[in-house]
Amino acid sequence: MFRTFALVSAALAALLGFLVASGREADRTRGTGRGPDHAGGRTERCVSCHVKPDEDPGGAHSRAALGCASCHLGNPLAFGKARAHEGLEREPGALSTVAVTCGREGCHARESARVATSPMTRASGIVSVDRFAFGEIPSPDSTETVADILAAARPTPAELHLRKLCAGCHLGARRANRDDAIHGNGSGCAACHVARLEKGDPPRAHPPIDARVPNDRCFACHSRSGRISLTYEGLAEVEPHQIAGGPLPCPAPLKLADGRPACRMAPDVHQVAGMSCIDCHLHTELMGDGTARTHEEEQVEITCEACHGPVREGGEVAWSEVKDEISLEIQKRERRREEEDFLRKGSEGRAPDGAARLGRAEPPDWTLSKKSSSHAAPPDARVRLGRRGTPLLNLLRRSSSSLSSSSSSSDWILVRKLDGVVLQVKQTPRDANHARKGHERLSCSACHTAWAPRCDTCHTSFDAARTQWDFAAGKPTAGAWTERSEGFSWGPPLLGVRADGRIVPAAPGMILDIERTAAGGGKTSRRLLAPMEPHATGKKARTCESCHRSPAAPEFEAGTRTGFRGLDAAERRRVAAARVEPR
Amino acid sequence: MGDAALTEAPAGGARSSSGDLGRLAFGFLAVSALSGLALVPFFSPAHALESLERLHGGMPWGFFLRALHAYSSFGLLVTAVAHLVQVLARRTERQLSAGSWWRSVLLLPLTLLALLSGFVLRGDAAAAEALPVGSRIAETVPLIGPELQRLLLGVIPGDLGAISLHHAGTLTLLLWLITAEHGRRLVPDARSLVLAGLVSASLAGTVPLPLGPPPGAFSGGAARVLLGPWYLLGLQGALVDLPVPSAWLAPLLLVLLLGFVRHADRARRLVVVLLAGWVAAYAAFTVRILLLARN
Repeated sequence: MFRTFALVSAALAALLGFLVASGREADRTRGTGRGPDHAGGRTERCVSCHVKPDEDPGGAHSRAALGCASCHLGNPLAFGKARAHEGLEREPGALSTVAVTCGREGCHARESARVATSPMTRASGIVSVDRFAFGEIPSPDSTETVADILAAARPTPAELHLRKLCAGCHLGARRANRDDAIHGNGSGCAACHVARLEKGDPPRAHPPIDARVPNDRCFACHSRSGRISLTYEGLAEVEPHQIAGGPLPCPAPLKLADGRPACRMAPDVHQVAGMSCIDCHLHTELMGDGTARTHEEEQVEITCEACHGPVREGGEVAWSEVKDEISLEIQKRERRREEEDFLRKGSEGRAPDGAARLGRAEPPDWTLSKKSSSHAAPPDARVRLGRRGTPLLNLLRRSSSSLSSSSSSSDWILVRKLDGVVLQVKQTPRDANHARKGHERLSCSACHTAWAPRCDTCHTSFDAARTQWDFAAGKPTAGAWTERSEGFSWGPPLLGVRADGRIVPAAPGMILDIERTAAGGGKTSRRLLAPMEPHATGKKARTCESCHRSPAAPEFEAGTRTGFRGLDAAERRRVAAARVEPR
Repeated sequence: MGDAALTEAPAGGARSSSGDLGRLAFGFLAVSALSGLALVPFFSPAHALESLERLHGGMPWGFFLRALHAYSSFGLLVTAVAHLVQVLARRTERQLSAGSWWRSVLLLPLTLLALLSGFVLRGDAAAAEALPVGSRIAETVPLIGPELQRLLLGVIPGDLGAISLHHAGTLTLLLWLITAEHGRRLVPDARSLVLAGLVSASLAGTVPLPLGPPPGAFSGGAARVLLGPWYLLGLQGALVDLPVPSAWLAPLLLVLLLGFVRHADRARRLVVVLLAGWVAAYAAFTVRILLLARN
């Protein structure tokens, strides 16, 4: 009797226990999302605190798809903030942890390995040119990276110069230790792929993550040094004293986000057409392609001719001949997405940008039927390639019916990657202006660059008594490098000669005096000419007089890359003596 | 062997009611072993606290499974002690042979060791504090101290591998074997198993078993007393005033007194009084440490 009573009592107590435990299990499930349905099949407790909708990046990286810990690490099942945030990565994508965040196996391992070879990560060009300018190495083509100079136990004067002034601007730099112009950007992958934080943004709002990088993220870094982002937008940086009643024609000066004053100039024609940086620059240039190169101009694949012609031999092929695996994958993925869009919405509901996805081998087909497979790229569809064979995914032939080996001026369109707007791509006419005898070696930009910024004077000195932020130490340390300029200017670019004989725009990149006596060196004066694509393309070419009747260009040293030089004396004489025909 | 053997009549002819609690203890042991077996795949000695956090937060009913294991283990200790008290009260110790009695007495320290190792395997701040204390106690055992320390705690300081092996393997196996010999059956009877399971489930559902803070959580703050497992509070209290060897001398004394009960004819009353004194002292030390922690 007693035993039965005990058993029945225990059964009732156990039932009560199960009921109470069910409530606790329901609480647990609520606190961790819907268990295995969330966070990519895992459960996480992060969302029990991070409940605001704007804390979700959305898209392919949404909380529901990946959770939080996939990118932010930490301890997603801990109870309590301190425990949960142990090992937290506040800047996912930062290159120091990228192997376990964006670059983890199954996510973007291949891409993160490529980024390690990108000039934006290595900054070898900046390092080697700087050391060359300081006279520390015989040629400006060393493979030393910014990571090397940051790790140097006994930095040379040039390395110290880089550590104090330049090393805060590369993909490896974290937010707390970088140049003040780029504080709003993320780190590593996030520097390009995560929207910038702006003043007034909610402190915990998660910016969206995307592959389609708008120009403001490029601007953050590339508005410095060569200042191509400024030029592209039609902005010329000036010194404050130059706009305060100075001689410069600067009617509507403005202040950049980091306080630098700038004057409004003519923007690049591509900017006027609404094109973004990624509409021209290929994934292999930006993300790296596995091969480390020292200089930016070695890395760049895109050329004016790739879009506007005349296309180099082998620069236009059938899609079946494309070997770039990543481009083929992108094309396949985008086409699948388009199919899904179509099946979901039907042709009526298709947004223009959805129809003009990247990687189409044909222009959008608005009459695509549900059963049609015509949107699959025919293997003989033509595609144009960058210098190393990477296809231009958003440059499309107008229609399959006009497929031929020759291109007319209306054959090609460009689909803007950010908004899907379709633009005509004019082909270079074969007229007298483009077939002028004696001008065969000129690059497109040698004539079509409307203006280029110049930093004509730069006095760089070292003051051992002052302190300055050191990007190697991540804090101010003894010694300060100071750059002093008499002012910026602009005008038609100078011309230089590349190693292959091609004449390209050039900038007097380093006309500088270096006083490094206090840093353990002497005083050096350098006059270096740098090859440069200013990104100020104008529809109209520069005038003949701007080359043939300009004062003789000053002489420069061999330049900032082996094989690159300014025009020699004979070339300058020939240019000056040439008859200028009225245009 | 079987129910008949377990319920064999004592000398007085009345059926022994102490057997019920013994069988229930075996039931708790079985529930504890089975729930522990279910926990093994989710537990990593190298990441003890993280494992339990994932079990609690990331696995459906994980908190319940862990609580079931803990409460069935507590049930084992409580019913085993109650069974022992009944045996002493009813003077039924002579139903076992001398060898079997001594081995049965060993069940008490083995159960405590199993529970203590389970406490250490939580990997939280209290567990991390308990580990060096246990290590220091083992060290003070004459002659075999360092070897005992290595055997029980492993060779790498802070590593929980050896402890988890003893917890899930050595101690569980010894407890099961000695209990089986003691009860003269290999597995518990169904009624005891069900009753133990229901009681454990009831407690697991109604009384939450939270995880402690991580190791080092209190290192930066003011000095405070981190309480050890509830069943060893008396020992913790004793160590406040008594030298470290008392931590193994006192349990040894208890085991010897319990063992001698069976052999003491005329001195049985004295031994029982000494045992009562031991328990009273233990209770006093428990109160002492609780007061110390409260202040």
